[in-house]
Amino acid sequence: MPEQPENRIEQIADDLLHGRRLRLKAGDAEEKEAIIAAAMFAGARQGPQRMSPVFRRRLARILDSAPSEPRLTRRAALVAGLGVAAGALAGGIVGKALAPSAAPVPLSASHPVVPKNGRWTDVGSLADFSEGQGKLVKAGAVGAFVFRRGETVTAVSSMCSHLPCELWWESGSSLLECPCHPVSFTSDGKPSSPSYTLPALNEVKVRLTSAGRVEVLGT
Amino acid sequence: MTSDPQNPSDPASPSDHAGDVVELSSASRATDIALDELELVYAFIYARVGNRADAEDLTQQVAMKAIPRLRQGAPASAIRGYLFATARSVLGAFWSTRLGLSQAELHEDLAMAIPQGPPSDESAARAHRILARLSDNYRRVLELRFLHGYSLKEVATEMRSTVGAVKVMQLRALRAAAKVDPDA
Repeated sequence: MPEQPENRIEQIADDLLHGRRLRLKAGDAEEKEAIIAAAMFAGARQGPQRMSPVFRRRLARILDSAPSEPRLTRRAALVAGLGVAAGALAGGIVGKALAPSAAPVPLSASHPVVPKNGRWTDVGSLADFSEGQGKLVKAGAVGAFVFRRGETVTAVSSMCSHLPCELWWESGSSLLECPCHPVSFTSDGKPSSPSYTLPALNEVKVRLTSAGRVEVLGT
Repeated sequence: MTSDPQNPSDPASPSDHAGDVVELSSASRATDIALDELELVYAFIYARVGNRADAEDLTQQVAMKAIPRLRQGAPASAIRGYLFATARSVLGAFWSTRLGLSQAELHEDLAMAIPQGPPSDESAARAHRILARLSDNYRRVLELRFLHGYSLKEVATEMRSTVGAVKVMQLRALRAAAKVDPDA
């Protein structure tokens, strides 16, 4: 039996008033206005909020430890904790992209990610993917954004081709954005600005089975 | 935000890249400025998500995305504009993801004016302007529940009603509050 909306809203209000995160679920969109209003009233309850000293220190550490971008070396990226997946990038791409260059650097071609002894991983049914919207999936060590267009699917690596940071899908602009610096990519993996001299994102192999399942080639 | 991305290439000398990170002399100052501006961002975000954990996560996302801009030595006003543009984008994505809606569908539901000064009571003032336009019962239930932190049972006692009735009234009051334009 579906939950009564007044009970669901009360649960959300109770979470907010006890300082808990917003834990929303399928169906809550029906009451989006009421939920956003509840969050606004909960936010107004204690007046203007300031960052806790602990959080402020954490942010300061993040800001201080993030190198000035052009001076970031591959080793520095790893040390800064940004480079967990640096090895997954094609060797040299990071160094090339970060290397200063007064002249435009030609775009590298996108290379498909073909893991050694790779295997196809089921990442959901076609119906799980919204038309034209990027969805982050994992196939073992391979992260990818899968895009559905009608009855076809395409995928690109979820890792930025410039810094080794995992991208996120910005549905408003329909772009993949890097959380580590202001670059973004279109759904086919190309940098969103033509003036950019970044490599395109690597293609990830994806297929649709006869049973309507989406599979990604991963590890 | 992606409307004005910066080219990551740099005209500095290649020798600058031989070793590890070389901190800019202005980095510490830039961090201080950034933290002051991020206080505004945090208050802005908190007023819209209503809880500390989500507000911290989203503020951190804004900081991460804005680091390159923060390091360019731009004036505080320019930094603020960029931070709030980023904050709007991050908040839009937050609600969009949590509710499974496109940001276009949410646009009109999110109050996104950029504050011009230090954290103020604007969010509380806005809430009071909305409450002032509601019927007595709706205003009372929201005041007691959200602004005074009463439990449902306490609200029911105060309003001489039942918990079930207060729950329904709370939902209807929130729906009504969402329709109010506090700036009209």
